[in-house]
Amino acid sequence: MTNTAGVLPGGSRPAAEALGLRQWMGIAPSVVYVMWRREMVRYRRDKSQLYGGLSRTVLWLVVLGFGLGAALREIEGYTYGQYILPGVITLNVLFASLQCAIALVWDREVGLLREVMVSPAPVLSVTLGKLLGGATISVIQGSIPLLFMPLLYMPPNASLLDPSMAWTAVERAYDPLAIVQAWVVMFFMGIFMTALGVIVAARLKTYEGFGAISNGIIQPLYFLSGSIFPLRGVIGGVGFMEIPEAIRDELRRIGIFAIGGGWVVQLPVWLQVIVFANPVTYQLDMLRYVLLDFEQMPLVWDLLITFALPPVAAVVAAWSMTRMMKSR
Amino acid sequence: MSLAAEPAAAAATSPHAIEAIALGRRYESVVAAESVSFSVAKGEFFALLGPNGAGKTTVLHMLTTLVTPTSGSASVMGYDVVRDAEQVRRQLGMVFQDPALDERLTAKENLDIHAVLYGIPRASRAAAVQQALAWASLNEVGQRRVRAFSGGMKRRLELARAIMHGPRVLFLDEPTIGLDPQGRRHLWDRIAALREEGMTVLMTTHYMPEAEACDRVGIIDKGKLVAIGAPKQMIAQQPAAKNLEDVFLKLTGRAFRDEEASHRDLIVNFGKRGGEHTR
Repeated sequence: MTNTAGVLPGGSRPAAEALGLRQWMGIAPSVVYVMWRREMVRYRRDKSQLYGGLSRTVLWLVVLGFGLGAALREIEGYTYGQYILPGVITLNVLFASLQCAIALVWDREVGLLREVMVSPAPVLSVTLGKLLGGATISVIQGSIPLLFMPLLYMPPNASLLDPSMAWTAVERAYDPLAIVQAWVVMFFMGIFMTALGVIVAARLKTYEGFGAISNGIIQPLYFLSGSIFPLRGVIGGVGFMEIPEAIRDELRRIGIFAIGGGWVVQLPVWLQVIVFANPVTYQLDMLRYVLLDFEQMPLVWDLLITFALPPVAAVVAAWSMTRMMKSR
Repeated sequence: MSLAAEPAAAAATSPHAIEAIALGRRYESVVAAESVSFSVAKGEFFALLGPNGAGKTTVLHMLTTLVTPTSGSASVMGYDVVRDAEQVRRQLGMVFQDPALDERLTAKENLDIHAVLYGIPRASRAAAVQQALAWASLNEVGQRRVRAFSGGMKRRLELARAIMHGPRVLFLDEPTIGLDPQGRRHLWDRIAALREEGMTVLMTTHYMPEAEACDRVGIIDKGKLVAIGAPKQMIAQQPAAKNLEDVFLKLTGRAFRDEEASHRDLIVNFGKRGGEHTR
């Protein structure tokens, strides 16, 4: 054992000057790839993320979708479950990308990041690897709700166990083109949210768990994006008119309560302002457009924010990473 | 092309492996290091000694381009740490104070990332990883996740990783801290072997016998370099000093140096309490 200390890899060790990264404007493909692969390996070895995504989907899409969906019969012809599907995908994307990004705080203090930052590898490539990793995990985690889509497209009162009914639901649920488009949107959303997370993580000095991130960033972005309530005109509900008191009493006696209420027309203005200022609103709207062919925002804005913002965020994230290391 | 050729020529002619000239770093009102000047010759084994919070790590981080100096300048193998940061990074190998490994990855995977970051060509990457594992006597556990490694194993892995790309200068920040005597000895043997090979080494340490074994020692206190020289010479110059520890205490005083918990400590403690699976 001890004599191995004398056997150095010196003879065949490369001279530092001879080594070089193939790169173009700070983008070294090998570095991007190896940092992406690192994220993927870490994800594969952390099963809790997958279970988290699964339980979130069941709670929101299945429990809330069918629970609240029983009261809200339809939103513009879509069931409540169908309406919130893109929202639940968004929630999974938010969790996946932010969790990936926030791991930076650990990585910086007690992990591999210092080793990466002291290497000649360009920071932009390191950041890109991270963002692409976060985006890929987002697509995987965001696809979990897609697996539940046939449930949302079951004809009412149909039995799940009836194979022909189930097949009909599958056929109605999946449009291959829509799914591919949804993956593209999820990917860009993942890039954007991971970049945002990196920018936040770079400024975090201490860290006492993911709870603050979840409550302070993910949930506001999620709730204020039109994910679980429509922005305008809930049409449908229990009835199309106010129920007279006499009938209410009658219904109450046999155990039927009045929920919802006909023509809910518009969100309060203050809520609208916040929702319209939230970039996730537009990304989610894009997702809803490709999956349901239903949009509530101008499509131009959706396209711009979904596809043009992530590259900008990526550059800011790379800059934040450099700054974070320099100011330690 | 001419731009690239210029620093290379500088590197060839520079007599020093490391040179710091009036190097300083302040964080708003806090002065972490102030006009630190010293040089380390090629092949020299140099130790920075100092109490907690004296600024050793700040100096080390400035020399390794992790922290930008706010005053003065420094060069490694003739390359300026600010202007030619990328060249400096190619020249150096670094072992941080606490493990800078991805604990969810295996030893091999960690080394492989290093090989890519330093541009070791794909064809020789696997061999380089294998050599590093053998050098660290970690052949059998190459496929195991680092999480399961002891402190000594992690250190050996990091040292092997730091020399994978053939650096000219090795920076070690408290390399033997937290190791048991066996682990300490094992690591020390490997550092000694590198030294025999002609590697320039700059290390920070708390451990006096290690410092006494170095060619020269610089003592840092409150961000300033208070003494520099060969250990024997320093002991001789201080009346009534029998060993380096006496010199050290004489120069830096006997007062306790309490440090507030750093961000890193807080995060490490949080992890120890069982927090967060993001690690």
